[in-house]
Amino acid sequence: MTFEELPDEWKEWIDLTPIERFRQSEKIFAQYLAMGGSLDPDPDPTSPFYDPDQWRPGAAYGRAGLRVLRRGAV
Amino acid sequence: MGGQACVFYGAAQFSKDIDLVLLAQEENFSRLRAALEQLKAKRIDVPRFDPALLARGHAVHFRCAAPGVEDLRIDIMTSLRDLPPFSVLWERRTVIAGDSGQEFHLLSVPDLVNAKKTQRMKDWPIIDLLVAIHYRENAGAARPDWIEFWLQEARSPELLAELAQRFPDEARAQSSRRQLLRFAFSGEIEALREALDAEVRVEQAKDRAYWAPLKAEFEAFRRAEREGG
Repeated sequence: MTFEELPDEWKEWIDLTPIERFRQSEKIFAQYLAMGGSLDPDPDPTSPFYDPDQWRPGAAYGRAGLRVLRRGAV
Repeated sequence: MGGQACVFYGAAQFSKDIDLVLLAQEENFSRLRAALEQLKAKRIDVPRFDPALLARGHAVHFRCAAPGVEDLRIDIMTSLRDLPPFSVLWERRTVIAGDSGQEFHLLSVPDLVNAKKTQRMKDWPIIDLLVAIHYRENAGAARPDWIEFWLQEARSPELLAELAQRFPDEARAQSSRRQLLRFAFSGEIEALREALDAEVRVEQAKDRAYWAPLKAEFEAFRRAEREGG
């Protein structure tokens, strides 16, 4: 995509400096935990670490923890 | 590396875990063990922590229990598919200075892009964003190596068309390495889209082939741990 195609909220995010993004991310992380969000990885059958015998809500296995909260154009 | 690096670079807003790539040296492993102890981190999956397994490409997964970092997962690797050795990654790293004196050492954007070329579907939109943001932040003072990076790694037809228009000589020179660039000159957006999808399928197949023997190994480790209690 080009920058112009991104939603405004993403443009604002990208306009932050790297360290500002990190600080904002810490706040989002804290809010996510306060709302009861889980740090378990999302089930991802396309991941090499996916284990169908282990995946269930609350499973402690796997990796792939990247989550884009506001996906916008991605 | 991973999601936290994507946050710094602007391609993600939040990551649920921390992925670290380490220099495989005994002194470093001792420091890692001390840090994991401080974080009360326990291994949560196979394989066990073994430098030889890490060198073969395995990741070791931990979960923290110390106050303030409860449940946070940390993944450790020392070797990444199709990426150069740690010494080269370290030389090319990005260092971000924090506001209270700390430093964050990140995989460079090109190395992170290569690390994200996986079989996981969710990694590909992140690559698209990483390249688009890097282009936006550096287009004003484009260096030859960056132009090459954008032309080789851009993942949207629109950005590729813009790059081909702005850097026609470089795009022509690069088109033997990345043949879909010829569609960028003519603005054939649908053809570009199909060619980009084909690139993803090729990289996913390479990643699956890389992981197949490792996956067989860690499935055997899992069975052994379950049987051993």
